[in-house]
Amino acid sequence: MTKAETALSADAGGATSGKVSIVAFSGTADKFIPLGVLAQAGAAMGMEVSVFVTGFALQAFTKVPHDLPFPAEFAAMAPELAKGMEAANVASWDVMLRQAKELGAKVYACSMMSGVMGLSREDFSDLVDDIVGAAAFLQQAEGGETFFI
Amino acid sequence: MQQTGSGRTLVDSRGSSCPGPITDLALAYRRSKRGDVIELWATDPGVKPDLQAWASKTRNEIVSIDDQGDKIVAVLKIVNR
Repeated sequence: MTKAETALSADAGGATSGKVSIVAFSGTADKFIPLGVLAQAGAAMGMEVSVFVTGFALQAFTKVPHDLPFPAEFAAMAPELAKGMEAANVASWDVMLRQAKELGAKVYACSMMSGVMGLSREDFSDLVDDIVGAAAFLQQAEGGETFFI
Repeated sequence: MQQTGSGRTLVDSRGSSCPGPITDLALAYRRSKRGDVIELWATDPGVKPDLQAWASKTRNEIVSIDDQGDKIVAVLKIVNR
């Protein structure tokens, strides 16, 4: 049996196949849409999904989350976009991420930026599974697809 | 989602945008067993290539995908479970 065949037989039965790793960095509302979509789609595809939250994105993962601003250059479009999302029945990013987690996705907060921002385990919402360092994330992401958002 | 007989499930994802339909399918897949048939109704215009990707990734079979105008009806056979 080749390595590929071994991998294929190992995931028969609905277990994971392939990996999607997402670095959620930006803290603006627009960037949270692809975060939710890619995490949910990857999980629905049976892929192992890991989200590494760092930088300004961490502010959306606290128990009392900050409002996510739109980038200034698109702020004028925000109300129309919100209307379009509602009409198209698109779930909000946190609902999509919860759905992804329901299907096995994991969410990790960056230990260094958490420290910089004065956030500890108890400050984060239940969306966050653990606090990890960059090395742990890179090891998890190795050999799969990685997106930086 | 409803059971329409032994081993056949109807998943109605009409009105749900990507990645809603494949997520509904994944949830039905999780409850399925080998040999089951899942019929998915969707209106998202990207559903056909998404279903082909899903079936290829999870190694299940697409029996048919029929664009009926008001909805796309896909029939999938669960062979990898």
